[in-house]
Amino acid sequence: MAGSFFRRFNRNKVLLLMVLPGAVWFLCFSYLPLVGTIAAFKEYRFSRHGFWYSLVHSKNVGWDNFKFLFNTDAAFTITRNTLLYNIAFIFLGLVFSVGLAILLSELVNKKLAKLYQTSMFLPYFLSWVIVGYFAFSFLSMDRGLLNHILGYFGVDSMQWYSDPTYWPYILIFVYLWKSIGYSSVVYLASILGIDRSLYEAAMIDGASKLQQVRNITLPLLKPIIIIMTLLAVGKIFYADFGLFYNVPRDSGTLYSVTNVIDTYVYRGLKTTGEIGMSTAAGLYQSVVGFVLVMVSNYVVRRIDKDSALF
Amino acid sequence: MSKLKKRAGLALAATTALSVVLSGCGGNNNEASGSGSGSGSEKPVELIWYTIGTPQKDVDTVMAEVSKYTQEKINATIKMKMIDWGDYQQKMQVLVASGEPMDILFTSAGGFDYVQNARKGAFLELDELLDKYGQGIKDTIDPGFLSGSKVDGHNYGIPANKELPQLEVWRFNKNLVDKYQLDTSGIRTLESLEPLLKTIKEKEPEVTPFGMDKNFVPYVPYDYLVTNMPMAVKLDGSDMKVVNILETDEMKSALETMHKYYMAGYIAPEAATTGSTSDLTTSGKWLLDRAQTQPLAENLWSASYGYPVTTTPASDAIITNTSVQGSIMAISANSEHPEKAMEFLNLLNTDPVLRNMVDSGIEGTHYEKIDDLHIKNLDASQNYNMPSYSLGNNMLLYLNEGDPDDKWDQFKKFNAEGKASPILGFNFDSTKVATEMTAVQNVKEQFWASLMTGTVDPATFLPKAIDEFKKAGMDKVIAEAQSQLDAWVAANK
Repeated sequence: MAGSFFRRFNRNKVLLLMVLPGAVWFLCFSYLPLVGTIAAFKEYRFSRHGFWYSLVHSKNVGWDNFKFLFNTDAAFTITRNTLLYNIAFIFLGLVFSVGLAILLSELVNKKLAKLYQTSMFLPYFLSWVIVGYFAFSFLSMDRGLLNHILGYFGVDSMQWYSDPTYWPYILIFVYLWKSIGYSSVVYLASILGIDRSLYEAAMIDGASKLQQVRNITLPLLKPIIIIMTLLAVGKIFYADFGLFYNVPRDSGTLYSVTNVIDTYVYRGLKTTGEIGMSTAAGLYQSVVGFVLVMVSNYVVRRIDKDSALF
Repeated sequence: MSKLKKRAGLALAATTALSVVLSGCGGNNNEASGSGSGSGSEKPVELIWYTIGTPQKDVDTVMAEVSKYTQEKINATIKMKMIDWGDYQQKMQVLVASGEPMDILFTSAGGFDYVQNARKGAFLELDELLDKYGQGIKDTIDPGFLSGSKVDGHNYGIPANKELPQLEVWRFNKNLVDKYQLDTSGIRTLESLEPLLKTIKEKEPEVTPFGMDKNFVPYVPYDYLVTNMPMAVKLDGSDMKVVNILETDEMKSALETMHKYYMAGYIAPEAATTGSTSDLTTSGKWLLDRAQTQPLAENLWSASYGYPVTTTPASDAIITNTSVQGSIMAISANSEHPEKAMEFLNLLNTDPVLRNMVDSGIEGTHYEKIDDLHIKNLDASQNYNMPSYSLGNNMLLYLNEGDPDDKWDQFKKFNAEGKASPILGFNFDSTKVATEMTAVQNVKEQFWASLMTGTVDPATFLPKAIDEFKKAGMDKVIAEAQSQLDAWVAANK
């Protein structure tokens, strides 16, 4: 009937009100800026009439702004690095943070568990610049801790910042060190939400701890694992700029293993500041991310309808 | 019927929400006051001035005082907004792109690039305004500045009158020079440093003989088309050919020397990733490094380090685009009051009272006069500690305690002795090769610091770098630059 919309609106007033801040936030910072993607197809020039006027009246250049991402040798390197690192981060991050969450949940001494949790949480709040200096204090050629230890065992000092061999491992290690404390909280929360009577029943049936984890905890964690992984897949073309720029100290000799899409775009455009080209890079990353999320969600839905995001 | 209404209701709700949001995050732009210049009973115009430097506590207090003065003189008041060194480039990029109201802004070859942004239309073209309201500027400032800062034949900003040429010097830590009685008189080339470096390396193993950070580039007699990019033209002007600096014999031999020094341990092992050498200068554990100088710079350095520093020249004094564009004040393209802004810039560059107020603050609060020329900072000056170079004509400034009376005459002499680079006034427009420039820039970042600091062996890395540059499209960039340069040479014959 005519007033059905308003009636429903009225009935759900409170709930809608609770959604409002989030909706406004998304509208402001995610939907409105979408219009700005026009800039990816423009050679942006300033005018005295403000941003929108400039945007509309700048010259159309079609796909030219995207070319710099594809037509060099570097294109392969940066795409490969971005993808492989992110796959490693998603996979290892998942294994370690779920493992950590299970371990924490099994600790009997809850005070100790809180202490562990907090200390593993702490690195998440450090900026990459500071983490970069932490790494430097280990890897510095003449004053680094690692070279001192190597020297103790009679091994020659390593030029860490000019030898790419170990950097894939270093970067993955640093990333995990910084992030798993945070991501394990999500899993820990859902583990704590699992009905304890399931475990009690299992124990009465004589299930060992490992069996409990395998048959109760993991299956019940599956939906949240899938959601978290799907969300991460959507960001697979975005590299963590701070990690790849600050931790290797922007050392040129390491670029073969540290240059990712974000650092490439930054280095290429920091002097010219072409808004069109950086918008193009961002658009490319989002579109690929969007496609990947849709595809993987489709795959998940085919296998297990209940676990899919939508 | 009901469906239609439902939809209409939804649309209405959506529109309302959208407009609420729009006004919420958009801010209100409709406060623009009436423009037009004039004086007398008219309401004073407020000029918004963006400049570089750590925001100072007393900026508003001082600007209130400045405004009293400017209101009397040109019927305008000043609102200064400072943006910190590290943020300036990025924040200005956003502020200008989004059309934030502003009248005057700082720009330079290094921070919020002058040429690029002039070409993108960020600044107002000043030719006419300069003729009309900027006569004082034309009379005071070294003409080299105004002609050298033209972009495609037009002025887009007023350079600060200060040291004009670029002169590279070797700086020496005099304590060590005296201790080992090193002879610095014959020093000029990179090669001539070797005996000194060797002595210090042997006798003072704790000292870094040759201090440098990742931005170090050995001096070669070429002028770069774009700062920090490898395209360059020979300084003697003999051929006007754009080359990749890495392919020149001069750079090749310089890099070999650098690598020799690096392997000998004269250079810090992490030089290629070191952002600053301030730990060396603070501790005094360095023998020499290279820097750009200006008259009386030794005094400044000695005073700030707390021990004597001496210098010998490492190059000729050359007037380049970079040196001319070291500090420029432009009028924003979206300025509501361009005439007033020009009047203000003219006053700032010619009126010692205004210029010193902007620089040192309020007399009696931030500084006091010792005599006619010299001033002494008071304790409150730490709440108004401004970078002098970015705020207009330097040669109007009071002298600090201990400066010789003829400081600015020394500057004028220094400026008069500078030789112009053959490409002074030519600004490469990279728009046509933007794609290649991005790739070239990345290759440069990859190889530059490790080659220049001698960290890697040029025998293997130099050919590799040159090859990578070629693959990135260097030849196309150079060809484009060459054709622009040829056209410029033809036009300026």
